[in-house]
Amino acid sequence: MKRSSFAAPYGLWMLVFTIVPIFIIVYYAFTINGAVTLDNFRMFLEPEFVGILTFSLWLAFLCTLLCLLFGYPCALFLAGRDMRRATLFVVLFVIPMWMNFLLRTYAWMTLLEDTGLINRFLEWIGIGRKRLMYTENAVLFGLVYNFLPFMIFPIYSVLVRSDRNLEEAAQDLGANAWLVFLRVTLPLSLPGVVSGVSMVFMPAVTTFVVPRLLGGGSFMMFGDLIENQFLTTGDWNFGSALSLIMMGLIFISLGILHRFNPDAESNGAVW
Amino acid sequence: MQDKSPPSGIDDYHLIELVDVTKVFDTTVALSRMNLYVRRREFVTLLGPSGCGKSTTLRIIGGFEQPTDGKVLFEGEDITRLPPYKRRVNTVFQRYALFPHLNVFDNIAFGLTIAKVHRPEITRRVGAMLDLVGLRGMERRSVDALSGGQQQRVAIARALVNEPEVLLLDEPLGALDLRLRKDMQLELKKMQQRLGITFLYVTHDQEEALTMSDTIVVMREGRIQQIGTPKRIYDEPKNAFVAAFIGESNILDAVMIRDERVRFCEREFICVDRGFGQNKRVDVVLRPEDLTLVPAEQGMLSGVVMSVLFKGVHYEMMIDCGCGALKVHSTSMAPEGERVGLSVVPFNIHIMEKVGEACPA
Repeated sequence: MKRSSFAAPYGLWMLVFTIVPIFIIVYYAFTINGAVTLDNFRMFLEPEFVGILTFSLWLAFLCTLLCLLFGYPCALFLAGRDMRRATLFVVLFVIPMWMNFLLRTYAWMTLLEDTGLINRFLEWIGIGRKRLMYTENAVLFGLVYNFLPFMIFPIYSVLVRSDRNLEEAAQDLGANAWLVFLRVTLPLSLPGVVSGVSMVFMPAVTTFVVPRLLGGGSFMMFGDLIENQFLTTGDWNFGSALSLIMMGLIFISLGILHRFNPDAESNGAVW
Repeated sequence: MQDKSPPSGIDDYHLIELVDVTKVFDTTVALSRMNLYVRRREFVTLLGPSGCGKSTTLRIIGGFEQPTDGKVLFEGEDITRLPPYKRRVNTVFQRYALFPHLNVFDNIAFGLTIAKVHRPEITRRVGAMLDLVGLRGMERRSVDALSGGQQQRVAIARALVNEPEVLLLDEPLGALDLRLRKDMQLELKKMQQRLGITFLYVTHDQEEALTMSDTIVVMREGRIQQIGTPKRIYDEPKNAFVAAFIGESNILDAVMIRDERVRFCEREFICVDRGFGQNKRVDVVLRPEDLTLVPAEQGMLSGVVMSVLFKGVHYEMMIDCGCGALKVHSTSMAPEGERVGLSVVPFNIHIMEKVGEACPA
């Protein structure tokens, strides 16, 4: 028996639940009542929809940027020399990930709401209540919170396998701690950064539950728009067209990221 | 206390000095009260089996480890707490540690760009280094595309281009095959003489140490066993450990009866050593090439040939003399099972204190 045949069950799964659905989406996207048309895509060009897409991209961009700014130092810290410390902190980071992200988001709702823990604390220290829920910042916060681990781990996995000798070599050649980071550690960790960015940016663009829960529906993102077409409006054709546009965007951003990756094989980063 | 006089061309000036350096990792003592000095333009080799503390010594001088106790002096100045990037030494690392994201040129230029040397100057100096190590024309190659020997050359060039006062080399030839290693040994030695840079070299290969060094420091379990020129260390090993580690040798239990008289293999021999006292237990070292094959009745010792191996230049025979098997190297050969005699001149009988019974070094 060939080794490749072990993958047959998964291949079948892919065929039934990924490849066939994609063809169905393509079919719906280019037809209305069975007639071939581009109207579904034309409809998307309305300012309202383009606006939603722009907003989604912007929010996902901010989310990715914040994840990178918080995640990189964190990964650097986790990959530090002290193994005992690292193991403890890695576990602390993993534990929240074992929980469903919906649960985690609900938990934040109770923290952020007007009479929630945070507001009570703010009142207690004399700052007074702030409107936290149902703001753009709440959505952004929720996204960053949920996606941060997906930024940290690819970077961490590259850093932790990096050759410490290289850092010593750089020091030996006159580089202080900052220059060692800038000239050796950072460039060598780029595959992890690229991997992390793609694992945060793409799901962030397509996310739909977080904005609804923390944004209260007042900030529609592209994922919400697609979901609406299928579940609320029942316009499968338009929904399919939007999905295809989404997929196109994902492939484009993948392509762009790939160009930034110094070694395309990405030597063992998450993908 | 060090029995070395500077070979020609070496300043009698202590460039680096270790004073009572001790290094303890958790519970194991890697170095204990090590004292050593290195003169300008000297080629010093730290030699010993793995775990003897030779690499630790190098890392302490490079600044990558802090000694638990003791001082490191550079030109008389205490640099014990100075970080690596402020030291005027450069290191060639064991597995080269080349930067995989940089090409050959940028690897070699790394130190110069950190030091903000002007671009034309960098190009000139890197070019000179490429000529020196014979890598001209490979500037744009990725270091991953180079052979082991070429990577080694890049590593050497990357360190030397900074014109360090001292070059530290941590088993730099360990990953190369025998032939390449021999070539590189000669090349490194030539480079060192031409550039007039002090080399501090770490190896466990005694032949390498003998070939290249002005001074060899034999180490064992964090302690210096002997310091001396290659010839002195080979001819007059201070103890059985040094004798066994440097070259091949037969080490026998013996009793020093009085000055110039030693007894081993149930026979008394005339030797040239004095000052060991009377009836003192000592070790005797007989180098295999110093034992001469003679007819059985003419030998000082006699024994039966147990095995014969052809080694190219000479035969290696194991001869059972009743007091253990002696290894003999000779261009003539006696067949297995034959009784032969062995003779040795007094000058080649080396007497050493028993290890452990006297404080070495």
